[in-house]
Amino acid sequence: MANVTFRNVHKAFGTYVALENLDLDIRDGEFVALLGPSGCGKSTTLRMLAGLDFPTRGEILIGDRVVNDLAPGKRDIAMVFQSYALYPHMTVGENIGYPLKKRGIKGRAREEAVQKAAALLQLEPLLDRKPKQLSGGQQQRVALGRALVREPQVFLLDEPLSNLDAKLRSYMRAELIELHRRLGKTMVYVTHDQLEAMTMASRIAVMHAGLVQQFDTPDAIYNRPANRFVAGFIGTPPMNQIEGAVDGGDFVVAGHRIPIDRTAFVDSLRDGPAVLGVRPEAITIATGEGLPATVRLAENTGHETIVTLELPDHSRIAARVEAARRLDVGHNVALRFDPAAIHLFEATENGARLNRDETPASVIPMRSK
Amino acid sequence: MKLLRPVLLNVITWALVLLISFPLIWMIVTSIKPQTELFRIPPTWLPETVTFEHYWRLLSETSFLLYFRNSVVLATTTTLFVVALGTLGAYSLVRFTYRGRETLAMLVLFTYLLPSVVLIIPLYLMMVSLGLSNTLFSLILAHTTFALPYALWLLRSFMEGIPEDLENAALVDGASRMGAFRDVIFPQLLPGIISTALFTFILSWNEYLYALVLVNSEAVAPLTTGVMSMLISAFNIEWSLLMAASVMMSIPLIVVFAFLQSYLTSGFGAGGVKG
Amino acid sequence: MTAIATNIPKSATPPLERAYARLGVLLIAPTILVFSLVIVYPLLAAIYLSVFSIYTPTLQGGFVGADNYIELLTGKAFWNSLKVTLIWTVGTLTLQIVAGVGLALLLHQNIWFRSLARSLVLFPYFLSTVVAVLVWKWLFNDLYGALNQGLMQLGIIDMPLDWLGSMPNAMIGVILVGAWKFFPFVVIAVLARLQTIPENLYEAARIDGAGPIARFFDVTLPQLRSVLTVIILLRAIWDFKEFDLLYLLTGGGPVTSTQTLSLLVYQEAFGLNQMGQAAAYSVGMMLVMLVFMVLYIRQTKEKNA
Ligand SMILES: Nc1ncnc2c1ncn2[C@@H]1O[C@H](COP(=O)(O)OP(=O)(O)OP(=O)(O)O)[C@@H](O)[C@H]1O
Ligand SMILES: [Mg+2]
Repeated sequence: MANVTFRNVHKAFGTYVALENLDLDIRDGEFVALLGPSGCGKSTTLRMLAGLDFPTRGEILIGDRVVNDLAPGKRDIAMVFQSYALYPHMTVGENIGYPLKKRGIKGRAREEAVQKAAALLQLEPLLDRKPKQLSGGQQQRVALGRALVREPQVFLLDEPLSNLDAKLRSYMRAELIELHRRLGKTMVYVTHDQLEAMTMASRIAVMHAGLVQQFDTPDAIYNRPANRFVAGFIGTPPMNQIEGAVDGGDFVVAGHRIPIDRTAFVDSLRDGPAVLGVRPEAITIATGEGLPATVRLAENTGHETIVTLELPDHSRIAARVEAARRLDVGHNVALRFDPAAIHLFEATENGARLNRDETPASVIPMRSK
Repeated sequence: MKLLRPVLLNVITWALVLLISFPLIWMIVTSIKPQTELFRIPPTWLPETVTFEHYWRLLSETSFLLYFRNSVVLATTTTLFVVALGTLGAYSLVRFTYRGRETLAMLVLFTYLLPSVVLIIPLYLMMVSLGLSNTLFSLILAHTTFALPYALWLLRSFMEGIPEDLENAALVDGASRMGAFRDVIFPQLLPGIISTALFTFILSWNEYLYALVLVNSEAVAPLTTGVMSMLISAFNIEWSLLMAASVMMSIPLIVVFAFLQSYLTSGFGAGGVKG
Repeated sequence: MTAIATNIPKSATPPLERAYARLGVLLIAPTILVFSLVIVYPLLAAIYLSVFSIYTPTLQGGFVGADNYIELLTGKAFWNSLKVTLIWTVGTLTLQIVAGVGLALLLHQNIWFRSLARSLVLFPYFLSTVVAVLVWKWLFNDLYGALNQGLMQLGIIDMPLDWLGSMPNAMIGVILVGAWKFFPFVVIAVLARLQTIPENLYEAARIDGAGPIARFFDVTLPQLRSVLTVIILLRAIWDFKEFDLLYLLTGGGPVTSTQTLSLLVYQEAFGLNQMGQAAAYSVGMMLVMLVFMVLYIRQTKEKNA
């Protein structure tokens, strides 16, 4: 069993607190992505799991073992670094074989394992080359090979695709998904690319400012963001956030009323300031009845058009419409929101979501055992 | 005009280069002139007769070979000692955290700049009281005073150039810290080690002051003081012989220059002169 | 020193981190040991000795308090040597910088056999000072020296000059040899920096109509500023404490005209056999140097920060 648990982990560099109250419970065989903007503490989390950094407080478990005091090599993990960190003076074969060598596996056994890993990643013709003689994509595969040759319990990957070009990246994404399916091992994957996280992970931990904001499935993260940060981070363009106030059965923005269904929200919802969240694709641009807005920009990407709209209070929101739709800049339109897709958040800076969901969205699974 | 400028540039540059190299050329020319030709006025700018008698005399009639051997032992031992200590020390200073580390690094830099004459008096007293004066060992110890800070500083800089993730990868792959050092860091550091070793060797090979103070017996004198004593003790100065000695003394340097020059240049960048 | 060795992080740190810290201390321990023995202890001993009067051959003597320092402050020797040291340092350093930057600029151009030219220029720096001095003594030889003969053949002088035995020739001579021996350091450092100046800076300047001289002052020099600061500080420190070259060329003479502080200390300790006084001079010298050292260390720290 190789579930991974962070129990109330803190990490400070001097006086700077990099991670606070980190609680994660990653199940055996799960593919979990740590997603967040630069500097939010993703790498630090991963490095602590690998034993390359030390938590200031709290426990880290792999399986049922507290690994805080274990050297990295004894944790039965493998790691792929953003820089790949291939040993420049060793050939590809030696690079892949190194973890085995360090575990005293010799001769034929080692050779066979290296061959097997190389075959899996189509590296056989490159085994005698030095890392310098490889392309970025090939180097990346060698780093993967070195990680999986030993069949560890947990794979750690720190932005492994960020140095590849867009095409290779999407190819490797598919490869990694396939690899995970085949090996069935726990994978913890750090990325700041939400597309990677959404397409690959079974669950995503969205991090910000040293705190886990939400830990849930990609579907839940997208459809039931726990707070304004997650709502504003996920999606391209992300969820629109319109400041206004709840007043009875309506949400009021700049004097205009948008009807809401109060039963869809938590009982504690009170009249007063709140933030309405709506995804760009849940907005219908029409004329006549609706929230008045002015078209400011229409960007056609070929298969859709992203329209930037200015509301009466001069704030701007984005809407997604089909590519063929023609909208002239400066035109006045009326917006209607899909009632089922309306979210409400507390009006604070990172306000929590106030919707009532079948499965509560904001619950971060903790300490299941 | 377009054609003339590069030619002019070349001529000027090479004239200056030759001017700078003239003392060295003159050293070689003098060393292969017969003694009688030296005292011509005006001098013969190129030798009329070429002779290697001075080299032969140097090797057969003087203690030059003894000095040479002493210098080889001295510089080699100092280099091995200092580079071994410095490599481990630099690894510690760059890749480990413990209290006092920063202070220590600054202390190294400080001693790197310290004048030898400050240390020479107490070192002399120390060697006398330990009964080590007039031994090569005392010189080796004395040479570490300037060679160790220098080597540490250089190696620290080289070590900083090795990506930390390389070591991390080795740790995750199952190596211990020292295992990672041996398998990954050391091979990466090797060019820096060679560069440092060359610098240390040259420093030690050329050192004069400590040899002057700590050693006054011919048996353990290195080349620097040994050759100078040939100048001072001679009744009439045999310049050809001294020039031959100078050429011979520079042989290790010429070898380094011919084959390993890139290591010297890279050492420069690391030695604290990157602006 | 021992405080560093025993002060491993407190017990609140995880065992693995503590083990690493212990290993780190273990690795630096031999260095600390050697440092303490051959640098820190002698340094403290020098300060200690400076309040004693010690006769070198017998190593006997007694406590004299501040006498040596009073002699340093009121006597002429220290101040004379300090003046000589400053003249020598400023003179040779100026020549080194001018020649070094000039040659670096030339050698940066695409000239014939460039790497050979570079090697030839660098060579004197790595040469033993003993060899350099022997060669130059022979060049300076009043009767048969190539320098006098050459200058006479060129008609610049009509009588051989006494290069090292009279003033101001002796000072000019050592400054010249010092510059010849040490300017390659400047060449290497400046060349390395020149190679990193992006070509498009020059192109931009050319498009703006800057000629070669304007390009040097507007593009090259500003880019060299930081490296030149470091070079000047480092070379100033090294020239200030230079012993071998001056001692071997002139021995400080004629009389004390080229006796720098390093030579003064040596002369006092092993010529006049006054070890305590010599130690006091060396401490005084170090205090003067401390100014440069602090500047250099601060510069280095800034760069690393
Ligand atoms: N050794 C260190 N000393 C001090 N601060 C550090 C150290 N390592 C990381 N930090 C700080 O901790 C915070 C989290 O760093 P971390 O590397 O985990 O970010 P990240 O989420 O991986 O970002 P990125 O996407 O840029 O890689 C950052 O603000 C960083 O500056
Ligand atoms: Mg990171």
